[in-house]
Amino acid sequence: MNAAAMAALRLMGGVILAGLAWEAAVVGFGIRPHLLPRLSDIFAAIALTPGAYWAGLQRTAAETLIGFAAGTAVGIANGLLFFRAPVLRDMLLPVFVVSQTIPVIAFGALVVMWFGNTLMAKAVIAFYLTFFPVTVNTLLGLNSVDPRQAALLRSFGATPTQILFRLQLPMALPQIFVALRLGASLSLVGAIVGEWFGDNTGIGVLLLQAMYNESVVALWAAILCAALLGTGFYALVAWAERRIVFWGAEQ
Amino acid sequence: MSGTSAARGVLGAVLILALWEATARGFALPAYTLPAVTQILAAVWEHRAALQAAALVTGFEAVTGYAIGALAGIGMATLLVLARPLRVGVLPLLLAINSVPVVAWSPLVLLWFGVGVSSKIVMVALAVGFTIFLSALAGFDRVDRRSVDLMRSFGAGRMGIFWRLRLPAALPLIAAGLRVATVRSLIVAIVTEMLGAYGGLGWIIYQSVTLIDFVQVWAAILVASTLSLAFFGAVGALERRFIFWR
Repeated sequence: MNAAAMAALRLMGGVILAGLAWEAAVVGFGIRPHLLPRLSDIFAAIALTPGAYWAGLQRTAAETLIGFAAGTAVGIANGLLFFRAPVLRDMLLPVFVVSQTIPVIAFGALVVMWFGNTLMAKAVIAFYLTFFPVTVNTLLGLNSVDPRQAALLRSFGATPTQILFRLQLPMALPQIFVALRLGASLSLVGAIVGEWFGDNTGIGVLLLQAMYNESVVALWAAILCAALLGTGFYALVAWAERRIVFWGAEQ
Repeated sequence: MSGTSAARGVLGAVLILALWEATARGFALPAYTLPAVTQILAAVWEHRAALQAAALVTGFEAVTGYAIGALAGIGMATLLVLARPLRVGVLPLLLAINSVPVVAWSPLVLLWFGVGVSSKIVMVALAVGFTIFLSALAGFDRVDRRSVDLMRSFGAGRMGIFWRLRLPAALPLIAAGLRVATVRSLIVAIVTEMLGAYGGLGWIIYQSVTLIDFVQVWAAILVASTLSLAFFGAVGALERRFIFWR
């Protein structure tokens, strides 16, 4: 009926085809289950304890989404603050830029020690992994606005708030979404790694348990869950980008 | 102008460190809340032998995996550009592998390659390979259709177009990918070490968390950050040398 439905149908066809190819390759080439188990075995493992996988998926999704949403909101607000207060920007931005070149995810260990093994701790990890890039890119986007356009609007009597919401923020959106796409994958990684420090539910926990049991089938089941969550989350951000930055469709 | 902002940057960093030190000392905060900066530096000095050994292990894993991943990523992108029909089969498979958050592969790679150094090198090569593959492919593909047609009309072959048009066009994107990948290589090495290793900074971090030795965690993070900055700086310097026309 419309292009979106067609694309969804094509995607579904591709996924089913890939699943069949997987099954056929494992059976046909006689790949050892230690390397790659049959897809049907993996689904059977998930069907055996669907509750654990569903709970893990929900928990990790909640950690990622809460942290990501908070990181986006605070990151954009912080970018605006830096834009308005150049002194503050000059003093703090270098720290933010350096944070992009160090393995900040290692601080996850400290966060888990501070907050205990709670949902909150993982949300905080996801938060700061999103927060730093969003701040930097918001500022980058705001600074890329042609000052003559702002001057033109001001000459028509626009207030600074109006200029911000009608010109500067919309112009910054493509840059902000670059950071959001990065943050989407980073925050999920942060949540999974955070769960490794000892938790009871979550994709990271499923991965860890499967590794300790040396169960390759369970490991692949957890990997599929992680892929599902990662792809879904990324698609959500990409969809929001197409809806919100409708004029930047060429990317 | 830029002198002032640089001075402000230094001032900001010094202020943050001073505030940190004063808060930790002034309120006599216990180490599990926030150890003082000097306390962390003292811990780095005290455990310098162990930290240096760990940094060597992690650095070796990151750099080796980085080199393998960079070569594989650029090689694969080149292959898919020169042999276009391969794309139909290979690209969806690669994108499917990449759709999994990279750390989710760590347990499986540990089972396959063992707890030693090789599993970390494989993980780093995987993460770096995909980062650079995707930027190289985007770079090769972003040439103007008309430029390709023009060169072809002058009798340029597929290789000629690749060397004279696609590669120069792709270099800035490849360089950006190479820079981002430095940070990623250390993150992945450290995270995989946390899951299981015989040594390395991630292993020290994990051990210190289980021993609740907070100062040691901070010390290991400081060393890891320094290592990452040095790697990033080295790749950036090489890039400025070789892509001089930017």
